[in-house]
Amino acid sequence: MRKYAVIYQSVLLENLQYAANVAIGFFTYFVFIFIFIKLWGYMYRTPEELIAGYTKEQMIWYVMMTEMLYFGSNANVVAGEVAGDIRGGNIAYRINRPYHYTLYILTKYTGEWSVRLPMYAAVAAVIGAVMVGPLPRFRLITLPVMALCVILGITINAVFKLCISLFSFWIEDTAPFQWLYNKLILVVGIMFPVEIFPKALQPLLKLTPIYTVCYGPAKLIVDFSPAKCLEIVAAQVVYLAVGCGLMVLIYRKGVRKLYVNGG
Amino acid sequence: MQVIRVEDLSKTFRVKKKEKGMTGSIKAILHPQTEKIQAVNGVSFTVEEGEMLAFIGPNGAGKSTTIKMLTGILYPDGGRVEVLGVDPTKKRKQLAYQIGTVFGQKEQLWTHLTPYDNFRFFGAIYDLSERETEARIEELSERFALGSFIDTPVRNLSLGQRIRCEIVASLIHKPKVLFLDEPTIGLDPVVKENIRSLIMQMNQEEHTTIFLTSHDVGDIEKLCRRIIIVNAGRIVLDDSVEHLKHHYPDKRAADTQAHEKAAENGDSLSISLEEIITEIYKSEERIAEK
Repeated sequence: MRKYAVIYQSVLLENLQYAANVAIGFFTYFVFIFIFIKLWGYMYRTPEELIAGYTKEQMIWYVMMTEMLYFGSNANVVAGEVAGDIRGGNIAYRINRPYHYTLYILTKYTGEWSVRLPMYAAVAAVIGAVMVGPLPRFRLITLPVMALCVILGITINAVFKLCISLFSFWIEDTAPFQWLYNKLILVVGIMFPVEIFPKALQPLLKLTPIYTVCYGPAKLIVDFSPAKCLEIVAAQVVYLAVGCGLMVLIYRKGVRKLYVNGG
Repeated sequence: MQVIRVEDLSKTFRVKKKEKGMTGSIKAILHPQTEKIQAVNGVSFTVEEGEMLAFIGPNGAGKSTTIKMLTGILYPDGGRVEVLGVDPTKKRKQLAYQIGTVFGQKEQLWTHLTPYDNFRFFGAIYDLSERETEARIEELSERFALGSFIDTPVRNLSLGQRIRCEIVASLIHKPKVLFLDEPTIGLDPVVKENIRSLIMQMNQEEHTTIFLTSHDVGDIEKLCRRIIIVNAGRIVLDDSVEHLKHHYPDKRAADTQAHEKAAENGDSLSISLEEIITEIYKSEERIAEK
């Protein structure tokens, strides 16, 4: 495990040099949140009104948290970089090392979001406190389990995106599939909580990665309950196990098909 | 002791074919066509421990594909490979601890980190202890004279400095076999000479086996005792550099046409290794055309 800790440390060192660049994205994040604050402001007629079981503050905090996850865990390493490595042949120079390529990529990605996410979390907390008000049922004691849930969510998302990228061993371009996956997560999980959608659709949505990637962690932050927490973490563990199994299987099959340009 | 054993190795690639223009693009979508390219075709050879071997050939001859099969990156379609008694396709990770690779046209170093941080990173990757890594960095840093730039980010180094660091990074775990794929490409003559001396020194002091591919005849003359020339995926020559240099001109002299032509022009029949290699490439090209 020491080698993966060193990979993580090296990426962290590298990314800390460019921490200031992350701040450029704060403006876009602020614009998104500002639009949603206004939008939900019009939708809620009275402060006590509930929509799909959420108060106005909870609804806005939900969007702030999912957007924070989206902006703070930019997955370019697991999507564009892996697909580019396979297509361009650079993967040849990464796989002849004594580590597992997929774990190398996931560790590298973890090193990247470890710098970005805390910065976005701090910005989200400030915007929330100033423009929305404190989270109604938030308790500091639940923070560690929420953090665990967030980390699991980000990792599951990375594993699924990596699975899509690994299809580059067979097909020319995986970008359209990444686009579809991103849009599914964005529209169904990030902008609106699952409860907004028709009741008949909700069980189906809970079977998709959306439930474990963004809905679950954000739901726990805005409306924590031990039972819900257990349900979400259990689902995340199952999803992570299935995702990792798939990832290893696709990688093992794919690496045998490797064709490196220029020999 | 043989460290590399290759028997009847072959590798075929399927390359997509597309006709010209928009019509060709549409046809390629509806009826995709592929062409079989035999990159390596029945190659067999062995390499002894501590040997410095030049594995050369024209572009597209199958050199890099062979190296990638020897290092476990590509899977052969046929034949057998054994490097240090290990089958690279089955135990790539185990083999990785015992071999080093330098690809002159690719970077393995993290460009935003210093060479020192990079070496520590590679030490950990190869499961060296902190103490072993530090001792090895000190030893190699002295040997490769890295002292003045070991704490400068790699992105700010000159190409010559970077290649020296690339070689050190691939030696950090004391590999038994070092694969060098065009290590001196793009370097000026002084830096090239310096790199060659360092490789030579390392081979003598650590008895590392060197498997070199290069288009630079200077690399081959300075470093290697044995040369293998490949073309169209086949071995066309496997000889010692000395033997080739001394006997190829005799063979050439036996060719009456060449002899007469040289006499007419008043040329000497003694030729350089570069000319010998060029002639072999050209004769292979002529055979292929026929």
